[in-house]
Amino acid sequence: MLQAENILFTSTIIIYFLAMILYFVFITTKKEGLSKMAVILEIAGLVLHTGAIVCRGIGAGRLPLTNQYEFATAFAWGISLVSLIFILRFKFPVLGVFAAPIVLLIIGYAAMQSREVRELMPALKSSWLGFHVSTAIIAYGSFGVSFVLGIIFLMRDKMKDSSFFGQHIPSREKLDLIGYRSVALGLLFLTFTIITGAIWAEQAWGSYWSWDPKETWSLVTWIVYAIYLHLRLRRGWEGKAAAVFAIIGFICVIFTYIGVNTLLPGMHSYG
Amino acid sequence: MTEEKQTTRENGLKRAFQFLTSMPFAIALLILLALACAGASMITQGQTLNWYVAQYGERTASLIMTLSLDDAFHSWWFILISAFLCLNLLFCNLIRLPQLISRTKNEKNVNVTAVTAAGVSVEGIEDAEKAFARLRMPKPEEGQDEEGRKTLYASKNRIGLWGAWVCHLGILLLILGFSLGQFTKEDYAVYGVPGQTKPVGETGLQLTIDDFEIGLREDDTVEQYTARITASNGAGREEKAEISVNHPARMFGMTFYQNSTGWAARIGITKDGQYLQDAVLCTGEFVPVKDKEDLIVYFNAFYPDYELVQGQGPMTRSGNLNNPAYLYTVYYRGEVLGMNVLMPDEVLTIDEYEVTFSEPQPYTVIQVKRDAFTPLAFAGGILVMLGLILAFYLIPVRVLARKEEDGTWTFYGLCQKGGPLFRERFENDLKELSHAAS
Repeated sequence: MLQAENILFTSTIIIYFLAMILYFVFITTKKEGLSKMAVILEIAGLVLHTGAIVCRGIGAGRLPLTNQYEFATAFAWGISLVSLIFILRFKFPVLGVFAAPIVLLIIGYAAMQSREVRELMPALKSSWLGFHVSTAIIAYGSFGVSFVLGIIFLMRDKMKDSSFFGQHIPSREKLDLIGYRSVALGLLFLTFTIITGAIWAEQAWGSYWSWDPKETWSLVTWIVYAIYLHLRLRRGWEGKAAAVFAIIGFICVIFTYIGVNTLLPGMHSYG
Repeated sequence: MTEEKQTTRENGLKRAFQFLTSMPFAIALLILLALACAGASMITQGQTLNWYVAQYGERTASLIMTLSLDDAFHSWWFILISAFLCLNLLFCNLIRLPQLISRTKNEKNVNVTAVTAAGVSVEGIEDAEKAFARLRMPKPEEGQDEEGRKTLYASKNRIGLWGAWVCHLGILLLILGFSLGQFTKEDYAVYGVPGQTKPVGETGLQLTIDDFEIGLREDDTVEQYTARITASNGAGREEKAEISVNHPARMFGMTFYQNSTGWAARIGITKDGQYLQDAVLCTGEFVPVKDKEDLIVYFNAFYPDYELVQGQGPMTRSGNLNNPAYLYTVYYRGEVLGMNVLMPDEVLTIDEYEVTFSEPQPYTVIQVKRDAFTPLAFAGGILVMLGLILAFYLIPVRVLARKEEDGTWTFYGLCQKGGPLFRERFENDLKELSHAAS
């Protein structure tokens, strides 16, 4: 099963890479048909990616969400899934042009981690693991998409509406609203993550909140997105300022995931 | 003049109150809180001045201590920011409550002017009932506009108006539950080896460790730590439980957790070849010599599979008892007499005393906790989630249909949070039913 996972994982990377190339060719050659092919390829990549994760789970005999490799590949899966939902829901293929490199970067980071299957330490043997980490994947995936939308929003200001790029990007107002939808989804799931984590920590460590670096940075991330939501309600602060906070928020997400694990070890040092 | 002064003071107070409850102030507090948390996470918390001096140098260490950055999350400034945030949330919710009640009522009642002026519209609809169904709206109520034309009105997701309010209330309860818990909770750590009975802080409870087991897998990794314990209250009542990581137990209104583990060993002391004393010591514990109490033997660490690595000091190759070794320090009147590693067959001689270590065994650390405010904090957490679901996914929508002279209906839709996405969906949903479009 783990061999099947290896094959599927490598195939996923190749398909995602091809999808990214197609997105780039679409934007440079301005051929509409290429964007549809890129989306189809990305869907195929997501199917293979799901297969790789399922094989990993069956091979390991547990939920494959407990170390850097497993979480990184699931993180990339989350961004891929949420970006595809947004691309299809809002008929917005340009989103893929920016999301595909991020998915590829994160899955590339996963490929660099050890893929050794290890048994779970006692603290991780809990039914809360599934709820806690899977909600984090959707949250991080949504924030990845809002980051991309933030960048597109800032770039949109510098482009003419009549340009090819300008024609394929929604209006400022709509873009801001799509970004808000992705932050809303992410914030809801991040709240689920923090609360399920707190319930689990209460059972495992006897304290639902210990100011562990991972907990603290999840809170920082939550606060940054709360600021984003409040800014959008202020006249004159919506749009550009909110887009900047969506970008800062994702930097916090990345720091919570990679930075905290490498620079600030604590009780979450395994994941 | 006095009246003028009073008015100025009242205006000043009013302005201060308005600022305290304003959104810019809330945003400023959130930014401060995020910066405080991020900064504090970069500094190891709860260390001594000497530790910070060794890590960061004297000047930075002094700054850390002055600003209470060594215990940032309990510092006065952190509590102050949190308190202001609570006040802001509380007043914001209090001020908004009457407005919300009135808005919820208004949303239910038809307001032709508001909906037709601010909403999106589609003309030429023949089948109004079908159009309301297509828009996934509830059954509309009949009415009339100012000019006596027949209207149909429906609204949905009024509860969504309460999302932010419920979320803010949840945050307040969460902070309150956590803060009250910090001040009132009882939290003790009891450690020992099987057979030992120890008091649980000042609770009056006694905890006996009946058994402690480390379940190992074939590859020697730990599968589970399990302790069987008995708690007694001194009045003859006893309760027994088995606890393991992730599986705490409740006894006498307190929660018992299998928290941690370490190594313990038996220390034996003889004097001139005669038995003097023995005791079971956990690492980090010490024992004073019975007839010379200012002579102390401290049990620093235990290495089950000892190896001395050049440049790194004593280490253990594995968790198995292949080559056990005990690291000790001897103090006399507070001064270090010596520090070394002792193997099981070795004897440490201090004048007429001989010290040996034996019977290494794992000890367990049981955490015993009572926090009456944990349910309040969790209730707050659930309200935050509920509030977010209401705010993000139950967006209030109002739809008004007005019968025109030609017998067709003009539909107006209003969704303040929906923006262009609502407009698009409204128009697309009604496009097929619109006589005007065809």
